[in-house]
Amino acid sequence: MKCEQYEGLFAGWINNELKPAERETLEQHLNGCAACREELASMQQLWAMMDEVEVPEPSPSLQTDFRAMLNDFKATEANKKGSSAGIRQQLGWLLQWRQKWPLAYTFAIILVSFGCGYLFFNLKGGSKQDKQMADLTTQVHELKQTMALALLENPSASERIRGVSYTTEIKHADKEVIDALLATLNNDPNVNVRLSTLDALTHLAGHPEVRLGLVQSITTQDSPLMQSAIADVMLKLQEKSSVKSFKELLKQKDLDHGVRDKIKETITQLI
Amino acid sequence: MNSLADNTIMLKVKAGDLDKMGLLFERYHRALYGFLFHMTYQRETSEDLVQQVFYKMLKYRETFTATGEFVHWMYSIARNTLKDQGKSLKQRVKHENTDDHAERLSGGLTPEEQLEKKQAKLGLYKAMEKLSDSHREVLTLSKFQELKYQEIAQILDISEIAVKTRAHRALQELKNIYEKTER
Repeated sequence: MKCEQYEGLFAGWINNELKPAERETLEQHLNGCAACREELASMQQLWAMMDEVEVPEPSPSLQTDFRAMLNDFKATEANKKGSSAGIRQQLGWLLQWRQKWPLAYTFAIILVSFGCGYLFFNLKGGSKQDKQMADLTTQVHELKQTMALALLENPSASERIRGVSYTTEIKHADKEVIDALLATLNNDPNVNVRLSTLDALTHLAGHPEVRLGLVQSITTQDSPLMQSAIADVMLKLQEKSSVKSFKELLKQKDLDHGVRDKIKETITQLI
Repeated sequence: MNSLADNTIMLKVKAGDLDKMGLLFERYHRALYGFLFHMTYQRETSEDLVQQVFYKMLKYRETFTATGEFVHWMYSIARNTLKDQGKSLKQRVKHENTDDHAERLSGGLTPEEQLEKKQAKLGLYKAMEKLSDSHREVLTLSKFQELKYQEIAQILDISEIAVKTRAHRALQELKNIYEKTER
């Protein structure tokens, strides 16, 4: 074996992590190789010297800052739960149990429905009713949004697609949702997820940041499927600013032939 | 060892007992600060980053699965935080800080041998600072954080062999830089 092949063992040696067999192999080599002996010795010396390198202590304020941060965090968490009058929390809790306890879940849903019905009819005619309804709508809306965002982080692709489809049900998608969708569009490893994200974003094309994000995404997509789907969307939206990005894309040598033709066609139609 | 307890504590945090994070802070803020200091050489920034890492661990507590060790998770988050911060850290500030450190190390009157030792120490310190980030990272984790190569492999998400090779290269680089500055 050449000296380089012992490199891994060197590191193990100085850190005292070698197995007896490895140690023996290395020792055998060292016996016959003065250069390696020297190298290992100097490394070991350096390693020992590093013990002397001082690390400054953190200042005492770190401790107090941490406590303050923790208290702040706890307060915001408690607030989050409190502000939605517990409904969101309880629904979220139910959702967590859904998979384990389908029956209990169904039962709980029935109860909640009755509860809502009761609330609704009981308050009918009262001046509070509108406000209550509005509150409830906001909460459901918030819940949907939270669920959609959580699902987008799910390791399973089909769950992420479900998350994407939830976002289409949100009437007024806010910045958080848009950002999450754009991040999914650009970074999701699964092409099906990206395709459905593209679809969801098309519905939100009224937002200028969505259009901008879509245009920017053109050059980051490497799947032919995505490239041609984006071309379709841009054509549908008549987004002229995308022409520049498409031209950029055409410069890529490994671009799929079909896609190349399609993009050229798209550009002519857009101009 | 602490490890079982660490994971148990973190699972409690995950379950909503946020105060338990205080225990983990007590156990690890010094080590984490040490790691971040070696990666930035800025004291205030390192303290900021420690705070950020603990904040992220609270905020993303749901992502802790206890399939690995708590410390590995912590260092992974610390690395990501560094990466986010990375672009804004300026090389220039680094050097100012080294001089600061130099003053602290050689401050006051000292007998000659002590001075010599301090200078050697300082030389090594400066040499470490000149290492590439990935080399300094692997040395810091193995030497100062006393992690095994296999643990580092998990944190860096590379193979154990790759970690060993990197550690070896890092020591070689450190040796070269150190010898150059000492001459």
